Amino acid sequence: MPIWLSNLLLLAGCAALVALLRAFLFTERSRRALNRLRRDRVGLACAALVALLLLIGLSDCFQINPRQSALDYAFRNVPREEGYSAPLATTTFNERDPKPLNGRHLLGTDLLGKDVFLQTLKGCKTALIIGGFTSLIYIPFGALLGILGGYYRRWVDDVVQYLYSTVASIPGILLLVAVMMTLGKGLDRMAVALSLTAWIGLCRLVRGETFRQTAKPYVEAARALGQSHWRIVVFHILPNVMHLVIINAILGFSGLVLAESILSYLGVGAPVGTPSWGIMIDSARMELSREPAVWWPLAAASSALFLLVLSLNLLGDSLRRAFDPKAG
Amino acid sequence: MLNYLIRRLLYMVPILLGVMFITFALFNVVNTPTQMAYRILGPKASVQAIDNWLNNHGYLDAEGQKIPTYFNTAPGKSLFDSLYFRSMKRFATFDLGTSFATDEPVLGMLKRGAIPSLCITLPAFVVGLFLSLCASLLLVFVRDSLIDRWGAVLCVAGMSIPITVYVIFGQWIAANLLNWFPAFGFNLEGFSTARFIALPVVIMIVSGLGVDVRMYRAIFLEEVRAEYIRTAQAKGASHARVLLVHMLKNGMISIITLVVAALPFLIMGTLVLESFFGIPGLGNLMTNAIQTSDFGVIQADVYLGSLLYLFGLLITDLCYAAVDPRIRLQ
Amino acid sequence: MNGNRTSLILSCTLAVLLALAGCNNNPHPRPLREKRADGTPWVVSHLRIPDDPRSLDPQFSYDTLGHAVIAQIYESLLQYSPFKTDPYELEPCLAEGMPRRIKNPDGTETYEIRLKRGVFFHDDPCFPGGHGREVTAADFVYAFQRIADPAVECPVLSTLQEFVAGLGPAYVEARKAGKFDYSKPTGAITVRDAYTFQLHLLKAYPQIQYWLAMPFTAPVPREAVEYYNGKNGRDPFKFHPVGCGPYRCAEWARSRLIRLVRNERYSATRFPAGGWPKADDARFTSLAGAPLPFLDEIQFAVIRENIPAWLLFRQGYLDRSGVGKDVFSSVITAGQTLSNELRARGITLYRDVEPGTFYSQFNTDDPLLGKNLRLRQALSTAYNEDRANELFGNGVQLKAEQLLPPGVVGYEPGFKNPYRTQNLDQARKLLAEAGYPNGIDPNTGQPLVLTMDVVASGAEDRQRAEFDQSQIEQLGVRCKIEENTWARFQDKQINGHFQMNTGSGWNADYPDPENFFFLFYSKNVPPQGSNYVRFSHPEFDRLFEQMATMDNGPERLEIIRRMNGILVEQCPVIYSFHPVAFTLNQPWLARVSSNPMLTGGLKYVRLDTALRAQKISEWNRAPAWPLWTLGAVLALLLGYAIQWARKQNV
Repeated sequence: MPIWLSNLLLLAGCAALVALLRAFLFTERSRRALNRLRRDRVGLACAALVALLLLIGLSDCFQINPRQSALDYAFRNVPREEGYSAPLATTTFNERDPKPLNGRHLLGTDLLGKDVFLQTLKGCKTALIIGGFTSLIYIPFGALLGILGGYYRRWVDDVVQYLYSTVASIPGILLLVAVMMTLGKGLDRMAVALSLTAWIGLCRLVRGETFRQTAKPYVEAARALGQSHWRIVVFHILPNVMHLVIINAILGFSGLVLAESILSYLGVGAPVGTPSWGIMIDSARMELSREPAVWWPLAAASSALFLLVLSLNLLGDSLRRAFDPKAG
Repeated sequence: MLNYLIRRLLYMVPILLGVMFITFALFNVVNTPTQMAYRILGPKASVQAIDNWLNNHGYLDAEGQKIPTYFNTAPGKSLFDSLYFRSMKRFATFDLGTSFATDEPVLGMLKRGAIPSLCITLPAFVVGLFLSLCASLLLVFVRDSLIDRWGAVLCVAGMSIPITVYVIFGQWIAANLLNWFPAFGFNLEGFSTARFIALPVVIMIVSGLGVDVRMYRAIFLEEVRAEYIRTAQAKGASHARVLLVHMLKNGMISIITLVVAALPFLIMGTLVLESFFGIPGLGNLMTNAIQTSDFGVIQADVYLGSLLYLFGLLITDLCYAAVDPRIRLQ
Repeated sequence: MNGNRTSLILSCTLAVLLALAGCNNNPHPRPLREKRADGTPWVVSHLRIPDDPRSLDPQFSYDTLGHAVIAQIYESLLQYSPFKTDPYELEPCLAEGMPRRIKNPDGTETYEIRLKRGVFFHDDPCFPGGHGREVTAADFVYAFQRIADPAVECPVLSTLQEFVAGLGPAYVEARKAGKFDYSKPTGAITVRDAYTFQLHLLKAYPQIQYWLAMPFTAPVPREAVEYYNGKNGRDPFKFHPVGCGPYRCAEWARSRLIRLVRNERYSATRFPAGGWPKADDARFTSLAGAPLPFLDEIQFAVIRENIPAWLLFRQGYLDRSGVGKDVFSSVITAGQTLSNELRARGITLYRDVEPGTFYSQFNTDDPLLGKNLRLRQALSTAYNEDRANELFGNGVQLKAEQLLPPGVVGYEPGFKNPYRTQNLDQARKLLAEAGYPNGIDPNTGQPLVLTMDVVASGAEDRQRAEFDQSQIEQLGVRCKIEENTWARFQDKQINGHFQMNTGSGWNADYPDPENFFFLFYSKNVPPQGSNYVRFSHPEFDRLFEQMATMDNGPERLEIIRRMNGILVEQCPVIYSFHPVAFTLNQPWLARVSSNPMLTGGLKYVRLDTALRAQKISEWNRAPAWPLWTLGAVLALLLGYAIQWARKQNV
């Protein structure tokens, strides 16, 4: 794929997502919720942090030339070293004849001499791809099935229930491993595998909420007015379950990033050469037992992972409180 | 009640069939029998040895031809004489089959691993439940205070650390700083087994605390807002009494149903912890089976996991039905 | 009430402290006995095994894990001499002398073997009265029958049946009948008397001697196989080995422990009367001719992860350890000697070159790489093995420039491979000659793209693959990495569905050049054999056929040299290294043999239990301050909570 096309697709995708969110934010209920969120300082800080990490990830997706993304370009002056070096050190780490470094590295370098700070930033992209792609697959799927089951009930609901009970019965991590082994390695395939297990929770939640909404008078009224099922679902029910979907997506995003680190431990994680936090943490098992320990890749990757997951979770909580002030 | 039970059991059958189909299909794509044979027999295996292995493990029919995977369309053969239907037949009779790596019956391996797994998960579960109940009660007790706010943040922080990081640090500290417990290993030796399980149990409790406290806190908060609490308070019951007697009693119903569904899974052990600490439990068995692609063990374990899950659901439903007779009639 | 509570809390604390005081960090189970029958201490050795062996059936097991245990339990006719490693040498074990080779006029050969008398199988319930009976020629007949039995799945049958009479037909017949008929002789062995038998070969095959030193040909008591067939709830034979070696298997707790106990009646071999290096005279002279084994019990702890194994070694709970890559730089100094800290602990370091060779393979059937010799040479010249060695082998692996490893007949010390020292200018020149100047394909104007298959499961594999990729890409060629599960990798190798791959290698079954060169013999292309690179070179084939059955001598060496030259020039593989194993022994464990082919060497090992007990208590002092700190923090928290509750609830 030529660069301009991939960049165009990226921008178009972002624009579409923003437009979708805007459309959703026009409902009365969400506007009230946003007003409440504005007073929640922790929530706002978390939102800012998430946005920052996402921007870094996006900048790494944006290609300047075939071999460099915008992020690489920004860090083009960071030299590559021969091997491990500690944060801000001047020579390579603990070698028999330490070699002088070509530059200083804030968080040191890894085994292959790559700057750990840059690798950690690049991990944002992997997290973004895993979280984003997976969400793009499982959210429409899970929400659609949930709404269909909750709205049409009877046999449709039976089928939906059967589907999610069956998948839920298989221990999640085993299903993930099996799918990953079937599909082979790759971030896109990991997204598919993760979405196979991620949709269940959302589907259940949306189905329950749709159940409740269909019983409400406004749906009865719409039916009485002779509106088609399709119109009722899209214009009445969907806006009323949308906040659940968004909160679930934000909380789910963090679960996906954590799942990646476990898959990496089991050897079915991201492919070779992907700068991913899960892989950095997994490699740390060996690095930490070196003497003296190589602690900086682990520290960098796990704090980045921790920051993202923590702020996503807190943001999700804040949003939930904003939409449903009664729930503490 | 009996009627309800039978209905629920029948409902499990199609789900189980679906599970078995998915696992069979998935793992058969991953590992064709021939690839399995390469894996088992090692890099120096000859083609003759592979053919012989396939024959001994029931992948070849009497004429030395490979048995088809799903439907046998060869003339003169039963349509259902295929690997898929054979394995279904096995699972329908609760025959878990044998490990591909060692030819041992999987049932025996599972039995052997269950006790070490339970040694870890059961204490961790009980103590963890107790601790998280206490902590969540405390948070509800002081709700909307600064402690509550930061307690919730702390819970989320605990959730945000991957289990691998917990384990790596835990073992590192235990082996480099303290010499209280063995850093590795397991031995069933009565009371002093405790020294082997102490470290993994602590790590498991700590890593699970955040999730549980947050969940129980949410459940309790839901109860705090209920009418009866206000009634009790209006009648002049003390703050502590309201929380510890009225709210706890009602909140426990939702918590117990959650807990009951999780109980059967304790036997499955933990994937990461067990292989790190050398506990010869089911989680260790499973990690090893994944890493050596021992299809026989993985399939049996998935089957067992699904059975346990459905069993847990069944018990939960029965609990509900016992409490609320209306459910039975639906 | 208040006083009661205080005393309760106090006694609880006391109980916890007492329990902790009783704690220690020894991970091993108790030995079977504390003292020997004569009152001297019972000597236990704790060793690590990285995984459960899949089987302890000598005719089936074909991996290092299995052999590490099997070789202590079973013994064969011959064994590798403990002190001869360059070149390796065989000596009699169960046989009374070396087999007598008889050349028959029809081109077949016969080996006549006489057994030692008074060698007994282990005491086991499978024998009448529980007493092991004497090993006789019939047990070898049975062992060779088992090799041909399809149900045993002997992995080396396909090789042996080419040379040993009767094995192939017996296998085919058993496959047809669905069952092996043990009452019918295979024709491999004829029994002369209870202690003498003849082994019949279809053609000349001097390498058969090495097979007689491997567990595949070890005698197996028929009673045991029939007794432990899995019936009556008994473990199958492969989990319950019964042999005639220095140790018997007392317990195998899967995923946890294999416990071997000394065979009281062992008599087949004694400590060698000589042959050790001069420097060891002081240690070994007094031992010459001493009865074996020295250890009473061996506990193999199953430890799959490297990190905990290293921790246990540091604490003194393992008697021996390899040196993992992770800890290497802290253990071994620039001069390849031990670090000061470990030397102060009294630990000793041993360095052994193992008889194996690792390399990256080109598929010589590939339309691109197969036809383009210059391209292969360019890639080989570009690869910086020294840097790889530095990064992944701590700079101590022995760089490989030829196929044969040290210790194998035909290895040329000091041989220089012109394509195996990194020279980027030379590589670019070769690449231009290959038709891809600067890595650009003139037909498309784009960089040439190569695909490399790897098995990547662990972190180190991933880093290695990334490094290999960078080595190729420095020529301007693009390299695509394809990650595979091991099984899929093997599938691709066998079916030839790869362009190039890395991480392949060969460890010697036996130290003969035939066992290495046959990897490039054109008749061994899969499915016939292990020629995965699909190398086909008529002259090489001719030389191989000539070399394989020759006796060692200058003529054979000359042929080997020519074969090596062909492989070097044709570049079907990029040689990378001969593995070098570093072993650390604790001060209380004395090493006897440095022979990596001698897997059954534990019978020669001795151990000082008093020193071990002293060092372990010295190295494992448990500090008490974390406990007090924890207690203080908890008390503070509790105090704060009580105070807070008082303020709120008054």
